[in-house]
Amino acid sequence: MENVEKQLREEAKRLLADKKVDVIVGYEEGTLPLQTVPCFITNPDDAGKLVWNSFCSQNLAKYVHDIIHQHRESQVRVKPEDKTRKVVGVVARGCTTRSLVIHLQERQYDRDEVVIIGVPCTGFVAKRKVSTLVDGKEILEAAVNGDKISVRTTSGDKDVPLKDVIADNCLNCHFNNPVISDIMVGNEAPPRDVDREYDSVNKFENLPLEERWSYFTKEMEKCIRCYACRNTCPSCYCKICFVEQSQPAWVGTGDDPTDVQVFQIMRMFHMAGRCVDCGSCVEVCPMGVDLRNFLKKLDKDGFELFAHKAGESIDKPAPLSTFEMGDKEKFIFEPESSS
Amino acid sequence: MAENKSNENWEPKIVAFCCNWCTYTGADLAGISRIQYPPNVRVIRVPCSGRVNPFYVVKALQEGVDGVLVSGCHPGECHYITGNLSARRKFAMLKNFLTYIGIDPDRTMFSWVSASEGEKFAQVVRGVTERVKALGPANKLVKKV
Ligand code: SF4
Ligand code: SF4
Ligand code: FES
Repeated sequence: MENVEKQLREEAKRLLADKKVDVIVGYEEGTLPLQTVPCFITNPDDAGKLVWNSFCSQNLAKYVHDIIHQHRESQVRVKPEDKTRKVVGVVARGCTTRSLVIHLQERQYDRDEVVIIGVPCTGFVAKRKVSTLVDGKEILEAAVNGDKISVRTTSGDKDVPLKDVIADNCLNCHFNNPVISDIMVGNEAPPRDVDREYDSVNKFENLPLEERWSYFTKEMEKCIRCYACRNTCPSCYCKICFVEQSQPAWVGTGDDPTDVQVFQIMRMFHMAGRCVDCGSCVEVCPMGVDLRNFLKKLDKDGFELFAHKAGESIDKPAPLSTFEMGDKEKFIFEPESSS
Repeated sequence: MAENKSNENWEPKIVAFCCNWCTYTGADLAGISRIQYPPNVRVIRVPCSGRVNPFYVVKALQEGVDGVLVSGCHPGECHYITGNLSARRKFAMLKNFLTYIGIDPDRTMFSWVSASEGEKFAQVVRGVTERVKALGPANKLVKKV
């Protein structure tokens, strides 16, 4: 890790000094334990702030999109000959690069507007899992120590094994190494337990219908519609999200339980073929809503019906933006006595 | 819908999104040919099955319909060439997803009916109505007003 961090800082510094990029999006030390925060570095001398560790949970592709688009908007009234572009460098692990691929496929920016510093990834720590292991006590300090995390809480110290607190999405991640990059730092990360990727979905599918519905409604009851999940999601970049559209108003903004359910169904459905399972939405949700259980189903269907994994390669279009004459259509209703 | 639930003679309300060029014309043909089919469907004419935003389906369920039918031209026969092929992918995933969260698969139905298949349109409507009837009034996702 240290080595990766050192290389990362050097590369970032060089990119900024050589004016190859205008800004580097990376992670820096946060003010709370178990957490790093996104940082935006424009001065080569600040590159030393960059960190890369097990607490880097957020998918930074979101910011790449935001920065480029905000800059473009600022250029709207500028004379054509004076227009500038902004090149963004980004620290990207596997899922972040897949989100970048999705942006590129959806033509959100050009390939030469991003410089991708690829980092190998061994998964990030899910804060909620740590919190459960220390019985919800307030965590004052935490540090990774080999394969353990030493946690200091308000009622004493505790060591928790790192492998028990890695986020669920990271455990079965297929793409912990970047799928595209301009510069790679560090060595390739070892593969994860990919065979069990859809175990949880398979299990859920086999529950009785009513049990599935009650799980869904129970999870959605927790949701307070803070929209943190949408705001952190790199694939949710619509200028005006359907939840805020008023003509027509697609979904009520009150606390009616069906409005919450409909909001979630539609937001998740917007992720069909576009969710890279980076876990950011789950990580930022203040209420611990199990979004992943549902998003993973879309991922599984994308794979099983259309042999597609979101953001896997620039040349493979998203499943819902293409079609084939011979697509499966078992679900199409044919009346029995059709003559 | 509250009054429906207590009613012995409950009849389902089904929304049918029919593409203008095939299914809607097929429904017309059924009418002209005086083929009988249950009056439970409310037809909404759309330019193409590809025009049907998955949200329409979810929204219809929230507004309290007991079933939704989306119907368009057979693959290869879409007036806009490939609208129904995109639609097919969308709805394959939508139906699976809604079933996964616990909505009965018979509440959301998809079919192909061409302009010359008046009889088939009637059969589809009969089939869908029967299935929805068997499920009873919708009670999931329905907004109480
Ligand atoms: S919805 Fe998918 S892509 Fe978006 S933040 Fe969540 S896991 Fe990541
Ligand atoms: S982050 Fe959690 S509580 Fe907030 S809108 Fe998303 S699911 Fe609901
Ligand atoms: S015009 Fe009928 S499905 Fe496209």
